[in-house]
Amino acid sequence: MIRVVFALAKREFVRFIRQPQRVIGTVAQPILFWLFLGSGFSSSFRAPGMENVSYLEYFYPGVMLMMMLFASIFSSITIIEDRDAGFLQSVLVAPVSRMAIVLGKVLGGTAIAMVQTLIFTLAAPFLGLHLGLGSLALLIAAYVLTSVGFAAMGFFFAWSMRSSAGFHAIMMVFLMPLWMLSGALFPIERAPGWLHVLMTLNPVAHALVLMRSPFYKTPDALFLDQRYLIALAVTVAWAAVCLLGSMARVEKRERGLASQP
Amino acid sequence: MIRIQHLTHVYPGTRKSPPRTAISDLSLTIGEGEFCILSGPNGSGKSTLFRILCGMTLPSSGSICIAGSDLLKEPAIARAQMAVVFQSPAVDKHLTVRENLRLHADLYGLKGRDLAERLDEALGWTDLKDRLPDKVDTLSGGLARQVELAKCLLTRPKILLLDEPTTGLDPSSRRNFVTALHSIQRGRKMTVLMTSHIFSEAEDADRVAIMKGGQLLALDSPQTLRAGLGREMVVVQSRNPLGLEARIHADLHLRTRRHGEEIRLEETDNGAGLPILEELLTRYRADIDSIAIKQPALEDVFIHLTGKTAQEVESEQLEIATP
Repeated sequence: MIRVVFALAKREFVRFIRQPQRVIGTVAQPILFWLFLGSGFSSSFRAPGMENVSYLEYFYPGVMLMMMLFASIFSSITIIEDRDAGFLQSVLVAPVSRMAIVLGKVLGGTAIAMVQTLIFTLAAPFLGLHLGLGSLALLIAAYVLTSVGFAAMGFFFAWSMRSSAGFHAIMMVFLMPLWMLSGALFPIERAPGWLHVLMTLNPVAHALVLMRSPFYKTPDALFLDQRYLIALAVTVAWAAVCLLGSMARVEKRERGLASQP
Repeated sequence: MIRIQHLTHVYPGTRKSPPRTAISDLSLTIGEGEFCILSGPNGSGKSTLFRILCGMTLPSSGSICIAGSDLLKEPAIARAQMAVVFQSPAVDKHLTVRENLRLHADLYGLKGRDLAERLDEALGWTDLKDRLPDKVDTLSGGLARQVELAKCLLTRPKILLLDEPTTGLDPSSRRNFVTALHSIQRGRKMTVLMTSHIFSEAEDADRVAIMKGGQLLALDSPQTLRAGLGREMVVVQSRNPLGLEARIHADLHLRTRRHGEEIRLEETDNGAGLPILEELLTRYRADIDSIAIKQPALEDVFIHLTGKTAQEVESEQLEIATP
């Protein structure tokens, strides 16, 4: 099964590399967002408890989250393309485990997201952020976990879609708001009550905690921090539920009516 | 090899449309090493049957046994025995020929020297040897189909299912593909089930199954099917087929069937065709565009059984393709 997963993930990655527009688009867009929004809001932004943090720095983990979101969206769209083109059928009739089909796609998307975010992580020293080895390890673990969560969620929605136009609608009304309400753009603490509730329920907000904290606290401190541990638990649960849900969808076969009409 | 028993499939209805029966109580057995063509007009249920056979759809009732294992209960075991060539190409166009084959090998757990051997064997009959590093994108339609078939052969399937594999190919690529398929099938003693509208492809098959309305109308060798029509027939093309048909009935008391502009006198005893042709020509010369005596071909069997000509079947497909 590992070989099947690896083969399918490798295919995703090779396809990605072979389309330079996609590479440029997915890397450049979040960086442009970051530079423009980050610089523009810098003078008017003060986060509670993070008074000496510039908006450029505040928005930094949020941009990584955005890269993962986009990587997941693009890899989900390829599910629809694969179905259209006929490639998916040949995978479905192969004697491979259904989980391998899900994991192949999800890990392919994750690998793409990882390359982007790791490159982007190189910007950290320029923001005055310094990472110890332990923190870096935690950060990378957070990347993997979050990318898997996003990619599996995209998979879950895209599986039954027959057109990529339909998926764009899901993306705009569901996936993008998850990112907007994650604390990537503005802190949860000062949001109005109803928004605060929504943001606390949003698993992506917890994933962001995992990605922001290693920059500011040592690993030892993090494992004593209740908020961090809760965020970890929620993110793991989110990724697991999305993976299992996706697998259930792949597992499900079209069924004829049981009795004659 | 493939045993289908009392298969029924009913598509669940939606709020707007009632449930629809696609296959009703179909039983069909295809023996080991047999080359069977499945044909039928659109909506005859052959696509549904195909989806069920490759394990993508679960039928309402009935059983399917593939190479000794139950497809519906143990799909993974049955899947390992068969390979499927779909109507829409199931190769990744962005990958090279070699990458596509490798990926397929990975899906079926093939590797090492075994894989190298199988690659040689699967590519032996193709024109792909120099094209392995090329992206499938850059291949012609005929070559892309060869990749597809080579990919399937890699797993040494006992059973090969093909869904209108020659759709979109030009006549010469089509002939090459079918010829290659036949020689591979004989060489490896594979069981082949292929859906097709092209009757020239069916002439070499061991048996031809014709479906309509979810049921099997005929299942026999092409020779027997043709012999079932039995006789030669007189085929008349006319600009005024309705009027002409009525007059043939009134004057000569002959039984006819009309398909568009074509009037067919199918039940003509051997040898009786020529006198009838002469008779028709002397009486209705002005109304006749062309007239001929034909030995029945498979297409005529199909028309006789389903009441549709191949052109009609094809134009129906066009209508579906262009909404």
